[in-house]
Amino acid sequence: MTKKRKYTIQRSAIAIILFITTVNFSYAQNKDCVKDCSCEITGTILDQSDKKPIAFASVSIKGNAKGTVSNENGFFRISGLCSDEVDLVISFIGYKSIEHHHDIYHEDPQILLAHEDLILESIVVEGTKIESGLTSITESKLDAQELENLNTETFGDVLRSFTGVATIKTGQNVVKPVIHGLHSNRILIINNGLRHENQNWGVEHAPEIDVSLANDITLIKGAASVKYGPDALGGVIIVKPKFPELNNPLRGNFKITGKSNGRSLGSSVSLLKGYDRWAWMVQASGTYQGDLKSPDYYLTNTGTREYSFALGTKYHKKDLDVNFYFSRFNQELGILRGSVTGNLNDLAFALTNEPPEGTQSFSYDINNPHQEAVHQLFKIDGHYNLHSSSIDFQYGFQINQRREFDIRRGTNNSLPAINLELFSHSVDLDWNHPKLGQWSGVIGFQWLYQDNRNIPGTNTIPFIPNFDNTRLGIYFVESRQLGEMTAEVGIRLDAQQTAVRGRDFNNNLFTNDFSYQNVTGTVGMSLPVGPNASFQSNLGTAWRPPNVSELYSFGKHQFILEYGLWRFFENQADVITENERSVPSEVGVKWVNTYSFQNENVALELTGYINVLKNYIYTKPAGVTTTVRGAFPYFIYNQTNALFIGLDASASLSHSKQWESEARVSLLNAKDVKNDQYFVGIPPYELNYNLHYKPQTFWKFRNVQLGLESQYTFKQTRAPRVITVQEINDAKTNDIDLFAADDSDFDFLPPSDGYFLINTHLNFSYNKFDVHFQVKNLLNTSYRDYTDRLRYFSDDVGRNFVLSLKYRL
Amino acid sequence: MKNYTLIALSLFSFVVLLSSCGSDDDPPIENPEEIITDVTLTFTPTGGGSAITATAKDPDGDGPQDLEVVSAINLQASTTYTLTITLLNAIENEDVTEEIEDESDDHLFFFAWTGNIFTNPSGNGNADNRADPVNYNDEDTGGLPLGLSTEWTTGDASSGNTFRVVLKHQPKLKTSTSTVNDGESDIDLTWDINIQ
Repeated sequence: MTKKRKYTIQRSAIAIILFITTVNFSYAQNKDCVKDCSCEITGTILDQSDKKPIAFASVSIKGNAKGTVSNENGFFRISGLCSDEVDLVISFIGYKSIEHHHDIYHEDPQILLAHEDLILESIVVEGTKIESGLTSITESKLDAQELENLNTETFGDVLRSFTGVATIKTGQNVVKPVIHGLHSNRILIINNGLRHENQNWGVEHAPEIDVSLANDITLIKGAASVKYGPDALGGVIIVKPKFPELNNPLRGNFKITGKSNGRSLGSSVSLLKGYDRWAWMVQASGTYQGDLKSPDYYLTNTGTREYSFALGTKYHKKDLDVNFYFSRFNQELGILRGSVTGNLNDLAFALTNEPPEGTQSFSYDINNPHQEAVHQLFKIDGHYNLHSSSIDFQYGFQINQRREFDIRRGTNNSLPAINLELFSHSVDLDWNHPKLGQWSGVIGFQWLYQDNRNIPGTNTIPFIPNFDNTRLGIYFVESRQLGEMTAEVGIRLDAQQTAVRGRDFNNNLFTNDFSYQNVTGTVGMSLPVGPNASFQSNLGTAWRPPNVSELYSFGKHQFILEYGLWRFFENQADVITENERSVPSEVGVKWVNTYSFQNENVALELTGYINVLKNYIYTKPAGVTTTVRGAFPYFIYNQTNALFIGLDASASLSHSKQWESEARVSLLNAKDVKNDQYFVGIPPYELNYNLHYKPQTFWKFRNVQLGLESQYTFKQTRAPRVITVQEINDAKTNDIDLFAADDSDFDFLPPSDGYFLINTHLNFSYNKFDVHFQVKNLLNTSYRDYTDRLRYFSDDVGRNFVLSLKYRL
Repeated sequence: MKNYTLIALSLFSFVVLLSSCGSDDDPPIENPEEIITDVTLTFTPTGGGSAITATAKDPDGDGPQDLEVVSAINLQASTTYTLTITLLNAIENEDVTEEIEDESDDHLFFFAWTGNIFTNPSGNGNADNRADPVNYNDEDTGGLPLGLSTEWTTGDASSGNTFRVVLKHQPKLKTSTSTVNDGESDIDLTWDINIQ
């Protein structure tokens, strides 16, 4: 199945880049303008239907004689104000007027006026801002509108809409994003301002984030560790929830979505209202899905259940904003029955057996194996305005519960094999300090405390031990203008202390306390190149301490055995410490360069990157052992140096007012440079071409859009060697050590063939209803994704008809 | 400013309170019931005489050490034996055989041997073809064979052959035709076998 409904994402990226000038302007306003009555407010006024600028709209300030009208670009500016907070009144003949409370420290408002004869209300969106706070780092954004038609997909699949993002999957339900070849602990997800803290170590542990709760998603392609802390080696994904604005009438929507494949039904509801000084938001959603189907057979036990709920409030007082947010996400995900194998012989059979074992007719039942996850997030944050500077503060608390059920004997079958609970508390403080000479910037502090516990009663020795984690970070990021160029520099210091308590395979207790610290830095520049283009360059370092699973995991994982860095020493399974084997942190340096160009008809973005990772942790085969269950290859964690080089390119072209083409390509080469070998599971090259027809209005329908999206994914040619189960068994029988001469990584199967997918969609609005119809995998192509672990067992999902209906309040 | 300080202070005290109740308890002992470390084959001559046993031991479970003991099976020529299989979890000192009996509907033993060393059953066993003969003495609640007890009559003296025992876990998959490829392998062991 494919999830490629690529909209003009690079456009948003370019919009952000061009916005830099505006941001610089607001930096310039950093002095206390109230004292000398030099405060200034700017904004843009657009038609809500077609997003075209409205000229000559009137902008006035309540209780003040000052006012202005918008220019031909819809832009307005009111200067010489003695207050940094005002109530704006925007009106224009034929449109509905709107009031908006604005302070100059917020981003510029974008006022979207609705026609008087429309049912829609006029709204205000506080302008695009640079999420990372760094203008030199490449960012792309999926805005609320682009996300609208994607948000019934998994989080990972939605992110695939970004050029340079691939996915690593365990079937269609467990999807993790991969940024420039890195995933799991090597990328960072900031959900609602908080680092998403979960059992990130496993490929089969997808982030527990419900996209239908998100308002927009931003991708940062650089190593933004300085701002966000450890793990941001590949990049950062920032998910922002819908948040209420002040002075907004009751808004909301109710949406219902059905999909033919999996026979699923989903619905969501959201309501927002803003008063003078406060606002609230409430959201809920749910999905009920049965077995998915590949073109030729049902994928038995691939149903899902998902429920989510979120609540937010905003309070505003002069100079102070305080927000409160709570969300809860429940997930139950079935995993393909035929993906369960006992030993290598079972695997060998499963690799050739199609349809997979246990395949039955359609059912909504979820049996074993399956996962249950609950993620709860509570946070309170605020912004305090000190006129010449400001302070952002945030406290977050997350509870992540994960239970995994395997096919087991007897009563154990109803017990989870993995039952983990992770509590995370975090405090963030940022001081946007007053300008120091030419420099403006932020000084920040972060504190994190985590407690990870195995819930007793699994009847297995825990795969990872219990641990406590405390981490402190301080950083600063500064920027200044050098002519037309914006230069940036930042440094961060982190220290982490971990206490581990676990049991070895004989139930003997082991404990260890250890710490990691690191200094990271970033330097970058952004430069306008003529009126339509810009160039950004950023060199950033990032780091991550080894994960507890990489240090301590022990035992059977899928169809291999794995031993952590501190569980295997000198060919023995032994619990060791840093005294026997020092495990330095992974350290990365990523250099990202982006050239963007945009004029009326053409938008272009080119991003090239190099990422060098030192002490990169990976697993390598170390031998084959016989157990009562049969022979298994065993892998040990190891460290090496890795190099990732790639290119993302996207271009869109308006052929006419109604026709638009978009092409995108992502290329990535990755290598273990120390051992001169390839890694398993690096996303192959990918090409996309989309054609959109946007007549806008057709008979009584508005926002009419018809699209055809095509995607070609190449076969990965840079993959490690293949060793078949037969070769492993033969070597064991003949007492040959397969890995003595060559301990490079291997795969049981060669990479999947390339494949071509086509999707199509139709959107339109009628009255207060938005309709979205889509056919995914239109040709019902049978294919397997190289980065899907279930490619060993079954084809990917076949054709899928999707229909959603949204009612807007 | 006063307001802010107050909020920050109360936030911090809240955080400190919360984090100080974090547990640094030792993880409790789990009973890994499912691990099978010792498999014993007991061949008892039906006409009387001393039983012959062959075992396989894997004391480190999923650890990297190979099976410790796989003693060869040495049987007398032209003799009928009852083979009983016992399974033990030595880490927990727990008899897993009972669990297999309780769950007989989900389990099935398969056998494979080389050199046509038995006169009854003849052939090479039912691991390659389920329909091939194996003399099961026991059955599950649905009347399908199980294999904890089987009957064997040896042929002439021979050596250098192998005897493979596979226990499959076939929840909802076990039928009169389910094969060695269905379900998950709980045991897959091969012994050398000599007929004297």
